Amino acid sequence: MHRVFNIIFIFTLVAFPALAVEEDYPFEDPQQAKVFSQLVNELRCPKCQNQNIADSNAMVAIDLKNKTYQLVKEGQSKEQVVDFMVQRYGQFVHYDPPLNWLTIWLWLIPLSLIAALVLFVIKRGQREQKDETQVSVDKLAQAKALLQQIEEEGEKK
Amino acid sequence: MMKNFKVLVPIITFLFISIFLYKGLYSDPTDIENANLQRPFPEFKLNDLMNPDKSYNKADLLGEVTLINVWGTWCVTCRVELPFMTRLSEQGIRIIGVYYDNAAEAVFSGVDLIQTQQDVKQMLSQLGNPFRFNIYDVNRDLSLDLGVTGAPESFLLDANGVIVAHRRGAIDERVWEKEFAPLIRQLKQGG
Repeated sequence: MHRVFNIIFIFTLVAFPALAVEEDYPFEDPQQAKVFSQLVNELRCPKCQNQNIADSNAMVAIDLKNKTYQLVKEGQSKEQVVDFMVQRYGQFVHYDPPLNWLTIWLWLIPLSLIAALVLFVIKRGQREQKDETQVSVDKLAQAKALLQQIEEEGEKK
Repeated sequence: MMKNFKVLVPIITFLFISIFLYKGLYSDPTDIENANLQRPFPEFKLNDLMNPDKSYNKADLLGEVTLINVWGTWCVTCRVELPFMTRLSEQGIRIIGVYYDNAAEAVFSGVDLIQTQQDVKQMLSQLGNPFRFNIYDVNRDLSLDLGVTGAPESFLLDANGVIVAHRRGAIDERVWEKEFAPLIRQLKQGG
């Protein structure tokens, strides 16, 4: 019995904010419900900056949610709704910005950094290997000389 | 030559990062340009706030330089800018209001138009009435088309109805002189 309560208690700790939003916006078509849920989670509230419109209760987020619901109900695709919002609120309103000459650097800079680091590590590895073999030849000669010395001393005794 | 280059790499990298971070220090994340700037004002067909039998469309905004002010009686900042706006209208600037309901209130409990009209009348008689007329944006569709994120917001239209300037938040003397007045002088010279 105790265990059952514990399990129930643990489940109450988990919040489902996205699901809570969808309850207010009923759909007959499960596909549309899916599109709507993706959209409200991907569209950014223009007022509160770091919330999607599903989480935000700002006035403009309420209006954007209602508009999204209306457009999806009318049968518009996800891309059409995103375009509609971007047209009015700019790229800022979408959490998934397109690849263009400005955003390409977000990908190019880390990739080129990784490439430069890999190159650096490989080059240094090669140099170290060279150094190591050189040193071991010298040390080998030294070691041989030492060994010989010890042997000679042993013979003398 | 190679050695010089190696010394320069960290210095240049440091410089770039410093400039980037320094700029970030003074950039305002809320200062996002309205997507409608330099575009024609969207089409609409809405009723007058005080006289719902009268309706307006985009053609009613054309013909002269016009300041569109999105506002509501529930909005404190709008109250602050009303006296200055009134002075502007006395100087001959045509100001047209777009009345923007409190969306949360409208969705959860609905708004009473009669009550809104009374509030508007009272507020405008107290603080000054800069508006030629007020368009009632009943479902806030026009505001959404304009990319409005809250009230107050203002849009300056040229005579052809193209949005030439936008302000999020109140307009005061400083903002007006810096961002709007030069544009209006320019538009009037050009036209």
